[in-house]
Amino acid sequence: MSSTTTQSGLARARRGIAPGGSGTVPGKRRSKLSAQATRTFFWLLLPSVVLLVLIHGYPLIYAAIQATHDGDLLQTGNFVGGQNFATVLTSPAFWKAAQFTLWFTIVGVFGSWLVGLGLALLLRTRIPAGGTFKVLLLLPWVVPIVVSSTAWNWLVATPDSLIPSLFRNLGMGTPLFLADPSLASITVMVFKVWVSFPFMMMMISAALASVDTTVYEAASMDGASRWQQFTQITLPLIARSTYISWILMTIFCVNDFPTIYLLTGGGPVNATTSLVVLAYRTVFQDFATGPGVAIAFLMTMTLVVISVILYRQIRKSSVE
Amino acid sequence: MSAVLHAHPESGPALGVDAGKRRKVLSEAGQRGRWWRFAAILIITGIVLVPIMVTVLLAFTPGPNSTATGLTFENLGNVFSKTLAATWLKNSLITTLSTVVVSVAVAAPAGYVLSRGRSKAVSGYSLLLFVMQSLPIITSVVPLFILFAGMGLVDNLLGLTIIYVGSTMTVATWMMAAYFDSIPISLEEASWIDGCSVFGSFTKVVLRNSLPGVLSTAIFAFLLAWNDYLVAIVFLRSNEIFTLPMGVQSFFQQNATDWTSVMALAVVMMLPPVIVFATLNKYFSVGGIGGSLAGR
Repeated sequence: MSSTTTQSGLARARRGIAPGGSGTVPGKRRSKLSAQATRTFFWLLLPSVVLLVLIHGYPLIYAAIQATHDGDLLQTGNFVGGQNFATVLTSPAFWKAAQFTLWFTIVGVFGSWLVGLGLALLLRTRIPAGGTFKVLLLLPWVVPIVVSSTAWNWLVATPDSLIPSLFRNLGMGTPLFLADPSLASITVMVFKVWVSFPFMMMMISAALASVDTTVYEAASMDGASRWQQFTQITLPLIARSTYISWILMTIFCVNDFPTIYLLTGGGPVNATTSLVVLAYRTVFQDFATGPGVAIAFLMTMTLVVISVILYRQIRKSSVE
Repeated sequence: MSAVLHAHPESGPALGVDAGKRRKVLSEAGQRGRWWRFAAILIITGIVLVPIMVTVLLAFTPGPNSTATGLTFENLGNVFSKTLAATWLKNSLITTLSTVVVSVAVAAPAGYVLSRGRSKAVSGYSLLLFVMQSLPIITSVVPLFILFAGMGLVDNLLGLTIIYVGSTMTVATWMMAAYFDSIPISLEEASWIDGCSVFGSFTKVVLRNSLPGVLSTAIFAFLLAWNDYLVAIVFLRSNEIFTLPMGVQSFFQQNATDWTSVMALAVVMMLPPVIVFATLNKYFSVGGIGGSLAGR
């Protein structure tokens, strides 16, 4: 299902007939089919629409109501207008969480991209048992986050855990990976990169697989260095897929709850509290529904903008 | 980067008179480099997999109160006999399998319409699905909690399944649509001329040829439902309704964590996705959701 076959499929679909579209089936037959297609399409789409309204549409509207009212989980109170948003936007905790989310996202996106790119390039070459390594390297992404965070906890949480002990034996002191605010932030980000690089690796591998290798042979005949080949052939050829994977990973990072919550719970002293963790805590631990939902709403706005940009980009490049 | 250059020295047309000679030089250099790259990837993979190896090793190491020596299945036995692990496993299996089946059943027809329909309404719906998949689930969780509380769906596996289906269905629909795009319409044309209805051609022609697409969508839904923690922590209250992620986490509420039991349960939890991936990996090799989004 490479993008090339998909696109040729799309192109064929555009050229050929689609039910309800223009095509080569003659006159009467076509309009009959077209009316029938419209009816069938309606029924085929109905379950999906119902679910979208129930699980996404309704909650979004209700969230808008909650964000503009006081009250708690059990009872929506009085209309307070933008007061919850004002509370949120003037609280230092919100800005601290926003800042952490930003760094977490930047490191998560580019860290996993760089590691994924390096490994995809390495795995593209002929290596004994290369296929096995490819599957093994997907494991961090496949293993449930609850499992991997448990393992990471065991490795770093206390001064007697494996990795702090290792540092101690090397005479480098005993780093408190989850107790020191800045070290905890770094640990969470490294954990996120560990979880996410396989996704990037898969995306880049898929893009590289469609690149014609004779291009490189021609380039090396013309005297292009390996670095030049990398920057002038490889990078442009995977640019589209890279762009899409960056934006997708941005969405994944901003929305990420378990990676952070399971490793640090947002601590120490809120050092690793992201916006999602803050929203969760505000609603379910402080029982301040309005402000909590307001935080989620602000995130929603940002993500709608990001995803509309991504959608336009995908549409544009698939028409080209 | 030598890598890229020597990727497939034997492929491609001859580029000139000295192509044969050059190719030989290339492949010799490639041979030498192969083992260096093998060593590099071996070390990297080793480091990357430390957390997973630790989990497996601890799961089979005798616990603090054990008399066993060497590697043992004792922890696994204990976790099933002394905790609700079997119930959690059953809950996880029920929720996940229902999610997979219903997600595919909803996404496949919708994906077909997205792929074949050519109207403003259809492309508008496609955009809507796309935007919805990127929204933070925490926004919907609070209103749904209130709605479901009124319907008795909190602390209930059915409630959990409905939310999982709702959240997988956006991306699943896109994945199915991307797959259907690759199935030529001419196949369906032939069946229409034979008097087949649109629905008939969807089920008999398109769906029958879509096993890889269906599997890839099913794997995606499976991973999402099996691994979810956020929805579970909000909606599940009582021990016997817990799914595995909540079960594993519940071990941490005690003062001293019983690591060998935690790891035994962790191994039980990671086995299904690892098996699914090891056997069905090729259906997901394009990067799953990324691939399907990139394809459109």
